[in-house]
Amino acid sequence: MGVLGGRSPPNTPIYLFIMKNRSRFASLIGPPSLYLFLLFLLPMGVMFIYSFRAGISGAAHDTFTLANYQQFITNTHFLRLLWRSALIAFTIAIVSAILAYPLAYYLIFRAGANRVMLMTLLIIPTWTSYLLRIFSWKLILGSSGVLNSLLLAAGLIEKASPILIYSRGAVIVTLVYVWVPFVALPIFAALERIDKNLLEAAADLGCKPWQAFLRVTLPLSLPGILAGFFFALIPTLGEFVTPLLVGGASGSMYGNLVQDQFMRALNWPMGSVMSLAMLAAVLLLVFILTRLGDLSDLAGI
Amino acid sequence: MRTTKYSFIVISLLVLSSMILTACGPKVVTGTLTMLDWSGYELPEFWSDFAATYPQVKVEFSFMSESADSYAKMKSGFQADLVHPCSNFWKIMVDEGMVQPLDTSKISNWKNVNPALAAQGQFNGKQYWAPWDWGFESILVRKDLVQNVPTSWADLWKPEYKGHIALYDSGETAHVITALALGIQDPWSTTPAQDEQIKQKLLELMPNVLTVWSSQTELEQMIASGDVWVAASAWNASYVNMLDQGLDVVYIDPAEGRGGYLCGFAIPTTSKNTKLALAMIDAYLAPSSQAYLANEYGYGIVNTATIPLVDPNTVKLLSLEDQNIISRTVFYKYLTPEQRDAWTSVWSEVKTSK
Repeated sequence: MGVLGGRSPPNTPIYLFIMKNRSRFASLIGPPSLYLFLLFLLPMGVMFIYSFRAGISGAAHDTFTLANYQQFITNTHFLRLLWRSALIAFTIAIVSAILAYPLAYYLIFRAGANRVMLMTLLIIPTWTSYLLRIFSWKLILGSSGVLNSLLLAAGLIEKASPILIYSRGAVIVTLVYVWVPFVALPIFAALERIDKNLLEAAADLGCKPWQAFLRVTLPLSLPGILAGFFFALIPTLGEFVTPLLVGGASGSMYGNLVQDQFMRALNWPMGSVMSLAMLAAVLLLVFILTRLGDLSDLAGI
Repeated sequence: MRTTKYSFIVISLLVLSSMILTACGPKVVTGTLTMLDWSGYELPEFWSDFAATYPQVKVEFSFMSESADSYAKMKSGFQADLVHPCSNFWKIMVDEGMVQPLDTSKISNWKNVNPALAAQGQFNGKQYWAPWDWGFESILVRKDLVQNVPTSWADLWKPEYKGHIALYDSGETAHVITALALGIQDPWSTTPAQDEQIKQKLLELMPNVLTVWSSQTELEQMIASGDVWVAASAWNASYVNMLDQGLDVVYIDPAEGRGGYLCGFAIPTTSKNTKLALAMIDAYLAPSSQAYLANEYGYGIVNTATIPLVDPNTVKLLSLEDQNIISRTVFYKYLTPEQRDAWTSVWSEVKTSK
């Protein structure tokens, strides 16, 4: 009976390679697996148990109940906020991908010798403090900030107003700014792997440059775009720092609610339920989206 | 040979005995003292006596954004030697065994502490809390940016402030100011029907709210930049700081009364540095420290011996001795766990409803 239980194992080269060198793989995968088990799976297990408790101290701590799950499902505002956060995260991931693609394309196809230097320039802002970069957006978008001063000077508005700051838009703008360099990296990697001869061949066959792009470059870079999309989507779904600082009342996300449950309401059971719900949502999303683009392409297997 | 060996022995004995004698002398106290405090109170002017007596002790500050935050931190295992929440959390922390009684005989400044305020820190006949600061929660307004200055908590709901109000991120505060705006006399004994009314009223306020704030610096930045015109539940220190920056602000005396709070120090049960913690409380209660609190932050003080050191203009500015205002101030009362849970849930929901 093979590893897949019942069905005969695949004959792919990679599978056969792993099975032949089992002990070597075990010793390589062992330490990270142990690390993941102790610091990720076990705490998740503790959280799973907490989601069934009635409270965090005294008698409530030892009582187990489904009440938290019931409350989560019946009180629509939790699910509504999860949906809203998913939409925001989606928007951020898509906009980041759209903005990062031309950047990566230019670096690979046009930058030539300056490629490494320009790439470094792209990455440098990520070396500064995350909070500092969010704060800088407060300065740009605020009432007495750069944007307002510019619009006032151009005569487009009469009175300064915090138009963009403390809103959902501010959260999206700030997070797109943070994530574009990260999304550009996998696209950069995917574009670099494209054989230039393919483009030459396309030109020989009579393709105009934009046709060659659509029929050769874009499809081949799709795994990179997908990877970049996930890079941005999954962390932003649980984001709470940026909404806290620039989101205002309308820009709060699911993460803020989880933080409130754990820190202010001391309702760790409810917080656990909410976190597990988000985990389930992300897993579902990843499952659906990976069926659209074969992720094994990314690993190069 | 003999004499050198002899003198060698004598000298070594002398050196050894002098070393032992110096070791028996006064030892320098070392160690670390962990403070769980509001940001702004870590300034050395507040604990100069302690720094002078124990220069080798390392004092570490961890910050709390509200009393509920300190309760949550301690509940999740944070080890502090001193904690500084406000009186609405004093009873809960005592009842749950989170803090230990104070040995006031070790606090030299205790004899001058206002007895009425000290009494608030007594539970089951023991002194658990050393009161330290009290102040107001009121509405801070940029007079130069608004058409009409609000005169009551109920005025916050006026459409003219749409998108320019900042609220303190606390379910308790939200509940209290809404109850006052609705004319409910005692926000701490509301009926479930009144609670529902308060929730609906809060939802109505949300279009006016630009954002919620949890750190004083954050609020002051927003007022200074002009994003926020009306800041709800701002504290005395913000008023003083905004005036210092030359801004045209006014601190309202709402018709329903200002909010009021009394805060103080206690030693968590898990602390192993009781002696140092008591010395630190003593340093904080010293007249120089209390005078700094009153003069620079505009807060009310508890050490009666400090009065001659306090700037009379600041006292007048913040109405710290105006009995008319103080008698109408709604000081925070004890919160039961059920109330804390209920009010925090309502606030969580309202905050994210936009």
